[in-house]
Amino acid sequence: MTILENEPRPVTILIGALGGEGGGLLTNWLVAAAAAADLPVQSTSIPGVAQRTGATTYYLEVFPTETAELNGKTPVMSLYPGPGNMDVVVASELLEAGRAIENGFVSPDRTTLIASSHRIYAIAEKSAMGDGVHDSGRVLAAAREMAQTALLHDLAKIAQDKGTALNAVLLGMIAGSGKLPVPDSAFEDAIQAQGVAVDANLRGFEAGLALARGKLEPAPEAAAPPLPEQRIEADFPAPVAEFAAHGVSRLADYQDIRYARLFLERLGGILAVDRAQKDWLLTREVARFLALWMSYEDVIRVADLKTRADRYDRVRGEVGAKADEPVRVTEFLKPGVEEVASLLPPGLGAALSGWAERRGLTQKLHVARRVRTDTIHGFLQLWLLAKLRFWRRRTYRFDVEQAMIEKWLRALITIAPKDYAFAVELAECANLLKGYGETHARGHGNFERVFDMIVTPALEGGKTDTARLRAAREAALADPEGAALGQALTG
Amino acid sequence: MERSFEKEVRSLRLGAGDTFHGEGILAITKALLQSGVSYVGGYQGAPVSHVMDVLTDAQDLLDDMGIHFEACSNEAAAAAMCAASINYPMRGAVCWKSVVGTNVASDALSNLASAGVMGGTLLLVGEDYGEGASVIQERSHAFAMKSSIVLLDPRPHLPLVVDMVEKAFELSEASNTPVMMEFRIRACHVHGRFECKDNVPAKVSRNAVLTDPSFDYSRICLPPATYAQEKHKIDYRLPAAIDFIRDKKLNEVFAGECEDVGIIVQGGLYNSVIRGLQQLGLADAFGEARLPIMALNVTYPLVSDEISSFCAGKRAVLVVEEGNPDYLEQAINVILRKADLNTRVVGKDVLPMAGEYTLAVVIEGLKKFIEGSLPQGLDHADVLRRGDAVAANRTRAVELLGAPTPVRPPGFCTGCPERPVFTAIKLVEKEVGDIHVSADIGCHTFSTLPPFNIGNSVLGYGLGLASAAGVAPAFGDKRVVSIMGDGGLWHNGLTSGVAGAVFNQSDSVLVIMNNGYSSATGQQHIPSTGTNFRSEPTGQNIRDALKGLGVKWQRTVTTYEVGNMMKTLREALSTKTKGLKVIIAESECQLAKQRRIRPLLRKQLERGERLIRTRFGVDDDVCTGDHSCIRLSGCPSLTIKPNPDPLRKDPVAHVNNGCVGCGLCGETADAATLCPSFYRADIVQNPSSLDRLLYRVRRAVIGFLQGRPAAAA
Repeated sequence: MTILENEPRPVTILIGALGGEGGGLLTNWLVAAAAAADLPVQSTSIPGVAQRTGATTYYLEVFPTETAELNGKTPVMSLYPGPGNMDVVVASELLEAGRAIENGFVSPDRTTLIASSHRIYAIAEKSAMGDGVHDSGRVLAAAREMAQTALLHDLAKIAQDKGTALNAVLLGMIAGSGKLPVPDSAFEDAIQAQGVAVDANLRGFEAGLALARGKLEPAPEAAAPPLPEQRIEADFPAPVAEFAAHGVSRLADYQDIRYARLFLERLGGILAVDRAQKDWLLTREVARFLALWMSYEDVIRVADLKTRADRYDRVRGEVGAKADEPVRVTEFLKPGVEEVASLLPPGLGAALSGWAERRGLTQKLHVARRVRTDTIHGFLQLWLLAKLRFWRRRTYRFDVEQAMIEKWLRALITIAPKDYAFAVELAECANLLKGYGETHARGHGNFERVFDMIVTPALEGGKTDTARLRAAREAALADPEGAALGQALTG
Repeated sequence: MERSFEKEVRSLRLGAGDTFHGEGILAITKALLQSGVSYVGGYQGAPVSHVMDVLTDAQDLLDDMGIHFEACSNEAAAAAMCAASINYPMRGAVCWKSVVGTNVASDALSNLASAGVMGGTLLLVGEDYGEGASVIQERSHAFAMKSSIVLLDPRPHLPLVVDMVEKAFELSEASNTPVMMEFRIRACHVHGRFECKDNVPAKVSRNAVLTDPSFDYSRICLPPATYAQEKHKIDYRLPAAIDFIRDKKLNEVFAGECEDVGIIVQGGLYNSVIRGLQQLGLADAFGEARLPIMALNVTYPLVSDEISSFCAGKRAVLVVEEGNPDYLEQAINVILRKADLNTRVVGKDVLPMAGEYTLAVVIEGLKKFIEGSLPQGLDHADVLRRGDAVAANRTRAVELLGAPTPVRPPGFCTGCPERPVFTAIKLVEKEVGDIHVSADIGCHTFSTLPPFNIGNSVLGYGLGLASAAGVAPAFGDKRVVSIMGDGGLWHNGLTSGVAGAVFNQSDSVLVIMNNGYSSATGQQHIPSTGTNFRSEPTGQNIRDALKGLGVKWQRTVTTYEVGNMMKTLREALSTKTKGLKVIIAESECQLAKQRRIRPLLRKQLERGERLIRTRFGVDDDVCTGDHSCIRLSGCPSLTIKPNPDPLRKDPVAHVNNGCVGCGLCGETADAATLCPSFYRADIVQNPSSLDRLLYRVRRAVIGFLQGRPAAAA
């Protein structure tokens, strides 16, 4: 017996998807289309527990010779995809394409990879305290390198634009890949026969078909938003100007022009000690974080953002309300002692805050308020709160934040000439300050701990340990309980 | 139920001359009807839930044929149902998820196997092993061995599978032995076809009832009959089974030209071996292989003379046997030793002892076997080159990707009513410190995964409370919390947990997730659903059951009310009242609810009725990107997106279109003092004229307020 390389062998198709994405329906369409073409076909899946939002796969084999011509012989079909043996690998999302590549199912000698380049984030990516998103660039590069043909498009967007489902677009692309000896009409008949959202799915199929055959131009990537026009370019080197401009417009919007000027003044102080190392990295990062810190989120800011004219339209768009449908918007506010104290003058605010802290009431005294900002009454409450902007400079919170900012800036100015890398790292530490309520308190606490234990000794002539500072900053963002930070600071 | 099987039910009525197209598990169901069963029962669970689901939808057909179908309360009840076949010529089949279901069934199974059966008895077990499995990784094989039950593991080729089901009943009757048939996950879900036969009416059924009860002392499991039964197994039943297996050629031998070696494979893995050989250039697409193969469609008992005649004259055989222990490999070694054959048995030395035999694993094992045994007449170098190319491709891919792909563990569905309970537990833990939580089996086991990481042990279905019995006193005054689903409660938790805890005066807290169904397995009805699978009212509920068992401290809380749940938990953890404290966390399974209400809502909308659609959103300019909301939720529709703010680096939270408006986001924002970024939007669909008027007035006033500052600036 000799086994010839060019003997017919099953066309193998692996589909990677998430539970509930319609991978089962896609598989049924493919099975029905192949069966209609009288081709032996087998499919299998591992739904089980993965049905509940996990990653799952569907696997099909289609024998490319009509049953009638096989003279009673039956091909043996595998229940498992074989690494190095896939003709078509389909992924409904980019990470799942990465998973298929990782498992060796995409090979340069035979695999057509059909994948949507959009992302549905895994829980670890979502729950990171900072940016935990997996690097899409590497997956895309690996896809292009490992596949014989890589068809990568944002199919979620195409499906949305065409008012259809992603799995229908994928079906069209599989049909259009030319790997299956099945006529287009058989796929269309399969969609008709399954009877699920027939018109929309046929539309998706057509789009996928055109896309795979190069007849549909994918939507262009959105252009970067234009920079706010400012006269900052004269004062700041080009790499810094962009951030400085963003900062100015943000702070003018947050408070007033005077506040924006203060920002530029403060940034000027940093620029003076920056020796243009690493393309003005220090000034760039300080511009970013200084602008964010100076526009700290207080109740006035939140009320302001929630009562803006463009916000209601944005909400309507986001929730998909039709033109004639009124939308009621409820805000979840839970002001507590800190929020009240932050609005009082410094003396009173400090007294109230200190009293609550001593009695352990800071996290306990809260009033849950649900405010309907689509009603006149509810809107007025937040609108009036937003008007307190004029009062902001006289508040306790303003005092506290400015003092901390000044302390941070002084430290930066002192340290930058000694150890540039340490200063950049210290600038980044401002990223620990974010969130509201408990999250915010924790961020502040972490910042102060890091500052006292690593930065203060450096200011007092000690060692500037950049690695330790970075480790501490990363640890503070590693877990919400602060266990990692504790370890990084003592260890 | 999660799916409707109307279409599939039609295929169960097919007869001679028709071709069945469909899922493996449904082909097996059809084969049962072709075998003349009197009864079918079982307990749901992947990968065999669909047997139960399709039969639930096939009531008319079953009624026509007089077949009794029972949705049993657990696997022990299902196995006990087979007692019908002990005294009467009734064929019957029961099914469950294995190994766990077989564990539960094993008491009844031992007794059934000891008594022996008159009517053919088939135990269909879904071997939940490997990728896609949701339970501990063990083999069902040992149960067959210890109870002298015949174990079938057929080649996953539907015509053969259907034939094997029919043969299984004959085998069972010829040997008075129950027959177990195992199907792996992928085989249960395989889509294929076979030529049908007519359905066969049962000898005994609702249409042909029994008149006289049969009493036969030798069928009673009580000494001294049990001693005779054990002897009967060895002297008569197993030999009869072996004769049947040999005579009907249930095991298959496929010839190959390299006769100095061979492969012995569990029938269920045959296709993988063929594909592996094909990738190594040693087989064609139709299963013609260069190495002889013996496919064991019966893996217990082995037919010694079949094994020894296959191995005679071979230098080495490869045993492809998934999982551990290596029962087959050991048995084959013994058979060959006794036959004085020197064939080397290769198995777990080239294939892994633990874990699923995926193609990558099989190819590597075959390659090593060829490398070690050097079959005559093969181009060994070519085989190795092909095997190495597969491995090299994978290495290159891993290199290019740089970092491992983040895992995507299963989790609570969008809007799941169980999620808020764990949000509440996590928030209460922030106040009182970490709590020992005895978790249970069900969707709620996902609480042990990120982002909640709640649950210190999982001991089995319905055993959440029982598994707290030993540890609870060790925590002194700090009470432990047990979790149990309504499914687990009715499966056995009511007795093993609740009755036991009250009886032993346990001072702990039990949270029962009452979502109305056995949700994880596909939303089958259970006693507290209120109706059975035929939608007949049952009048059973959890509160009365607990009261009857003597539980005095009971609270029922709607799961979505996080604040209320926290308050109730605090009370349960700190009250001076001793004894078991039960919190019934109640809200309907969101999957079931959406499936129920969506078509209704669509119709109401079409009729122009006023409807309010609720969903949540995040103001991306208010969100600071610390994601604490996600760590308290993990909802699939609460995700992230790139920060639109050019100054911020971290992605912002984002609620996508999957949101069903369950309300957890708002509750969490309140209960956890999280963040003001969340908003709830109630969209008024088909608004009334009053709605429109109110809307216009409000917009006008608000617009005026918003416009003025802009004009002044």
